[in-house]
Amino acid sequence: MCGVIATVHLTQIIQGKVSKIHYCEACANKGGAGDPAFFELQKLAQATTLKPAIVCPVCKFTDIDFRRLGRLGCPSCWDVFAAPLDQLLNSVQHDSQHMGRVPVGELSFNQIRKQISTALAEMNHAIKSENYEKAAQLRDEIAKLKTQIPTE
Amino acid sequence: MSVEDILSAENELTHLLGAQQAVVLSTRVRLARNLQNHPFPGWAKEAQRKEIADKCIKALTQLSRFKKAHIFKMSELTDLERTVLVERHLVSKELITGKSGAAVISRDQTCSVMVNEEDHLRIQVVKAGWHLRSTWNIAEQLDDALGSSLEIAFSDKLGFLTACPTNVGTGLRVSAMVHLPGLCLAGHIEKVSRALGQDGLAVRGWLGEGTEALGNIFQISNQQTLGLSEEVIMKHLGNWIKNLVEQEWNARRKLAEEEGPRFTDRLARSLAVLRSAHLLTSVESMNMLSHLRMACDLGYLPETSRHLIDRLIIEGQPAHIQARHGKDLDSDGRDRSRAIAVREALAGLPEITEPSA
Repeated sequence: MCGVIATVHLTQIIQGKVSKIHYCEACANKGGAGDPAFFELQKLAQATTLKPAIVCPVCKFTDIDFRRLGRLGCPSCWDVFAAPLDQLLNSVQHDSQHMGRVPVGELSFNQIRKQISTALAEMNHAIKSENYEKAAQLRDEIAKLKTQIPTE
Repeated sequence: MSVEDILSAENELTHLLGAQQAVVLSTRVRLARNLQNHPFPGWAKEAQRKEIADKCIKALTQLSRFKKAHIFKMSELTDLERTVLVERHLVSKELITGKSGAAVISRDQTCSVMVNEEDHLRIQVVKAGWHLRSTWNIAEQLDDALGSSLEIAFSDKLGFLTACPTNVGTGLRVSAMVHLPGLCLAGHIEKVSRALGQDGLAVRGWLGEGTEALGNIFQISNQQTLGLSEEVIMKHLGNWIKNLVEQEWNARRKLAEEEGPRFTDRLARSLAVLRSAHLLTSVESMNMLSHLRMACDLGYLPETSRHLIDRLIIEGQPAHIQARHGKDLDSDGRDRSRAIAVREALAGLPEITEPSA
């Protein structure tokens, strides 16, 4: 409209009639001011050019991609986006701790932790009843189990 | 192996005489699984998706349950063939519109695994009637067998990792396809579906998410997948289905009693139209077949005819009619073709008669 190359293209459909308007950036800021639809468009454009706050190092998926797609990029994203996802999970899921099956051949860490606490209780009991042989055996067992879970 | 084989083969849902039950048409168990260290299908690049598909298909075809299985790559099928698979509930709409999607379907069509849908693997097992335990057992076996040849993405805290936060944890969706003409006719269906919704269950139409309840058929499934064990999820759905079946029977009995001859007339009219119409739309035939199914359940028609009705419900869908006919049909042509198929199938049925008390 003003001779400068148009970089903002607005397509409006009003009562079935399609109109296309092309603005340069300066005109867009002026000309679009009176148009509520244009404001929405501008907001959308800004949202898509926002800088991502979190990026998955494995698959380069960002928090903005998540807002756009509602789905994650790869299994590692679950670690990367743990904090914001936790909030979401709290609202859509029953709880944030898995309670179901584990893949075949994989003893879940929780199960191992449970085994450790049972063995600990047994060991304390063995010590109290002065059964030191059994206590030592349990101590070794616990040490072995502890190598199978991540240290906290 | 082609989609044609799927149509002509005798299978669980359309031919298994005697397995059909009143109210619950089928039980379905679905598990969402993903490969470790691979981007989810929606974010993966074409080459990655191909690699994922190859890996998954290779693992699947080694399982005994998928001996001589159908393997379909969506890109190699026609639009019509893809739609036939959707109408059979063997694959989802999302799979056929996505890229590099594939499906491995067992010979008897009870097990189908979608590859590269929203997740890398969607294991599905379906059985006619209400058989939650045995359906689950097959899914569990498949899951274990796949887990021993593929590295599955899993976290101790979040369980099975999925693309969408609504599936994470167990990745389990259990559902029942239920036929509720009694509750629909009595006008209670909204109340019922609200109650189900408030108790964490989703109510959907015949073809799943975002589809209408054709033929008074609804799909009821759990919504939450994390923080609950598979046992708890199944028990919850199981209790509701038991309750729903009871409510449906009560509604039917009440209707039959209160409406008397009007109720019999309604069923008889549906049979008459289905047996003599020359043009039948799929909506019309679904809704009338629904009446006939109820007639079988209540003894107005022989119970042994129920499997015939179930077969027509599936085979009367648009893509099925088109595929059987072979040539391109316009909408009138389909309605004609459907009317002929239905008329022929129902020719041997006796008239609707009130059951003797």
